Amino acid sequence: MSTQTIPVGQDILSPAKQAAQELRAEFTRRGIFIVNIVSSPGAGKTSLLEATARHWVNQNKMSVLVGDLATDRDAQRLSPLAPTVQLTTGGACHLEMPLIKKGLGELGEIETNFLFIENIGNLVCPASHDLGEHLRVVVLSTTEGDDKPGKYPKMFRTSQVLVITKSDLLPYVPFSVEAAVADARLIQPNLQAVTVCARSGEGIPEWCRLLDNAREQMLATRDA
Amino acid sequence: MHEASLVRTLLHKVSDLLTEHQGDCVETITVELGPLSGVEPLLVQSAFEQLAPQSPVAGAQLVINEVALGAKCRQCHVDFEVQRFKFLCPTCGSNDVQVVRGDEFRLLSITIKQSLTDQARV
Repeated sequence: MSTQTIPVGQDILSPAKQAAQELRAEFTRRGIFIVNIVSSPGAGKTSLLEATARHWVNQNKMSVLVGDLATDRDAQRLSPLAPTVQLTTGGACHLEMPLIKKGLGELGEIETNFLFIENIGNLVCPASHDLGEHLRVVVLSTTEGDDKPGKYPKMFRTSQVLVITKSDLLPYVPFSVEAAVADARLIQPNLQAVTVCARSGEGIPEWCRLLDNAREQMLATRDA
Repeated sequence: MHEASLVRTLLHKVSDLLTEHQGDCVETITVELGPLSGVEPLLVQSAFEQLAPQSPVAGAQLVINEVALGAKCRQCHVDFEVQRFKFLCPTCGSNDVQVVRGDEFRLLSITIKQSLTDQARV
């Protein structure tokens, strides 16, 4: 009997990261910009997507994969506005690549500019899983408190955009947009920030412009 | 709470390596994780204790090396430890820094037992 030590030095998630990288490359080729939307439960991810779809009405610009532990309530809300597939995780706290692939199969051949992945409401686990997105957007609502970025550093560190939702409640809650953005930028200095109210539509044009610009940049880099 | 799924992935990887290297059993699995790896060492250990006995890796010991969060400044190239998730270079004050350590859950090495020597196998 002999013993042998085998050096490995590999990220546990490297096969999943590889799959995500391949998906990103394929969608870049097809000109479809993937946006992974993450937040705590109830921050307003679905409302943000509804407002986005209303802003881009009749433009055929977006499709959605929406994750949930149970129910298809989000898909029911989004389906009238954009092609949507509900991914039900059966209790899992985040989405992973196999479920994304399954959802894409159900969505079929899509010809849209944007594929949104609405992740499970959870500021912890989804941070560790690359889903092939070009952009990770963290949504923070004014009712959650402006101290949250520092408490969930991985999520804010791995995101490129911060959307602050429910701006209509700012007069009633102790939330400072400046403090939240400053806290988040200590963790991720390059974070772009936009404040919106999905119900009134305030900030939605800016948010949609940010998305269009990000996609244009992806296309320019691809074609360079 | 995704430690269980990550530990399952780890056990698959280790089982594959055991087969690949024609080992009989795994003695030690050494992993590295840090503050931005998104996993909690205690939860990893307990998920491992739950899941390993039903896998080909049964009997192995899991060694967790916790590392500090390390970054490198892209401006002055100094390597430093990130304190309290403040991504600022302590030398030049730049926030243009790249995380180089402590943001992954890495399998460093495994130690396996083999009943046959390489020569015996040939």
